Amino acid sequence: MATTFHDALSRLRKTRVWKSIFRRGPALTNRTRSLAVFGNLFLHFLPVKVREKSLRVRATYYLGSISFLLFVILSITGVLLMFYYHPAVPQAYRDMKDLRFVVSNGVFLRNLHRLAAQLMVLAVFMHLFHVFYRGGYKPPHEFNWVVGVILLLVTLFLSYTGYLLPWDQLAFWAITVGTNIISAMPVLGKYVRFQLLGGNLVGENALLRFYVLHCVVLPLAAVLFIAVHFWRVQKDGGLTAKGEDGRKED
Amino acid sequence: MDEKKTSHETGFSSHARKNPQRIVFITRKTSAKVKGEIPGQVMAYPHLLLREAIAFQVLVIAIVLLALVWDAPLEQLANPLVTPNPAKAPWYFLGLQELLHYFAPLVAGILIPTLVVIALVVIPYFNINVEGEPMWSSNAARHLRLLLAVSAALEIFLGLFRAWTVFVPTAVIDALAIYSYFVPPTASGFGRYVRNRAVSWWVMTWFICVAVVLTVVGTFFRGPGWTWVWPWRGHAG
Amino acid sequence: MADSDKQGANGGAPDAQGDVNRRDFLNEITFAALGMAAMGSAVVTYRYLSPNVLFEPPTKFRAGSPDLYPINTVTYLPEQQVYIVRTPDGFYAVSAVCTHLGCITQWKPEADQIACPCHGSKFKPDGVKIEGPAPAPLPHFLITLTLDGELQVDKLETVKINQAFKV
Repeated sequence: MATTFHDALSRLRKTRVWKSIFRRGPALTNRTRSLAVFGNLFLHFLPVKVREKSLRVRATYYLGSISFLLFVILSITGVLLMFYYHPAVPQAYRDMKDLRFVVSNGVFLRNLHRLAAQLMVLAVFMHLFHVFYRGGYKPPHEFNWVVGVILLLVTLFLSYTGYLLPWDQLAFWAITVGTNIISAMPVLGKYVRFQLLGGNLVGENALLRFYVLHCVVLPLAAVLFIAVHFWRVQKDGGLTAKGEDGRKED
Repeated sequence: MDEKKTSHETGFSSHARKNPQRIVFITRKTSAKVKGEIPGQVMAYPHLLLREAIAFQVLVIAIVLLALVWDAPLEQLANPLVTPNPAKAPWYFLGLQELLHYFAPLVAGILIPTLVVIALVVIPYFNINVEGEPMWSSNAARHLRLLLAVSAALEIFLGLFRAWTVFVPTAVIDALAIYSYFVPPTASGFGRYVRNRAVSWWVMTWFICVAVVLTVVGTFFRGPGWTWVWPWRGHAG
Repeated sequence: MADSDKQGANGGAPDAQGDVNRRDFLNEITFAALGMAAMGSAVVTYRYLSPNVLFEPPTKFRAGSPDLYPINTVTYLPEQQVYIVRTPDGFYAVSAVCTHLGCITQWKPEADQIACPCHGSKFKPDGVKIEGPAPAPLPHFLITLTLDGELQVDKLETVKINQAFKV
């Protein structure tokens, strides 16, 4: 049985269709392994070679990877949740009840999404602290650090906009307090709050705007900045790279 | 005669004036820099990518197990007329909300977060952070005086506003820093570690301590009306 | 780790025909486990995406007492998109949805025809096609009588065209 699986797989690999998709063949030589990373749209953000030291758990605790993987999990669970959610008042709350009592595995999916969201905020903070303590912000990585701070703000804003969507008391008042703080900003405060809420009160306009921010604008921003962040790591020579002046970071 | 013979045989002549030769001098500065093979590297595929795949699966398993037992909360329908007591922000903003208890919204809500973000962004552009020299490695006495002056001013300011939840962790870090000044150079272990920390380390550690204390207090020690509660004395939250 | 960079290395050669070496065995177990996890996720996702509660109008409905419908008339019920047709033979519940592309047809009493405005299909009152691009006659739904003597139509059950419901 094992050999038939093997034979089937190797026959499949010899077909024209397979070879038209996976053009370089199995990655068994260093050359094909390089090409597998370098020539792939999704993988070429990563370097072709990495320092073995950077693969150890203690080097980074994989915090950056965990942040990104949590983002992927959130995207998938988020899209699934979108199939049952109407960003309208009070339908949004009814949909949350729907997810809890009526939809198969609705509770599980919502738990996954919320848990991953809390963990992502935590992971991003821990990643920031760890990179700081390892000196990973030192030249030539300064701008990547700034991109990282931007990603932190995007993550926090994503979490904040998502918080309103259940439209329960917890959501409503957390956002009320938050937007009132924003109005304390000198000169621009009132206008920023008005734009964010689409009005003067936290109502249906606010829900719709937060929904669009949470599901479209901020994820797009996150993807773009994550791409820049990865690209920069690769271009700066990969993780645990030596600084410009030859000073070792770890 | 000789020249003819040599140039015939070798194609080169050694008569400097008749057949001047060009000589190239290669100095250190003009040589092309060749990057050698960086040691200790492995192919991203399979070593990095398989590890990432494993990390993803471990993460998914952990989250799935947690999601099976830990339910996301859902309170009553949003009611603009009734504010729950206490109305708490999500945990990552609770530190800020605790600060709001002591300072005006402009300060705690806008000024401090903006300053924190700016401070984070500019870290790599200051030489003192890039060099990362231990705080006591040079001008130790002067640095100690600076530390005492800054922390005294900060603590007085915090005391005036009765911001005890910030006052206490600041005092702890100050004590640690002062202790590290007095650690002898021959010490080992924790004393030695703390003695060799850079200014940037101290500032970040102070910030993390304050943020953690503020968040923990905001989560567990604040009840209705944002009054102080002891979490083990059973309150409605 | 270095040996994995060598081309074609495997975890020991198979000893005999049909035996599998350690590397391939572990690979197969891994793929089997991942496959099961993937299939499980797919099933769970499919069940999640299939709504358990639909807010659509019910497919079984009551059409009132048979006496409401005089003989040789066609009555259109707009909320259900069904014609109640009463002939001397009995009742037919004719679907008003055109079998061509799903437009709602209209009863034209002056022409004694059911006409579809979209592409011009025309049907007789019993649903049989007269002309037009519709591929099939309008289907008839099952009629039953409730315990208190009302007509009940079930849109999920179809009956033969010539099968009238006799009261």
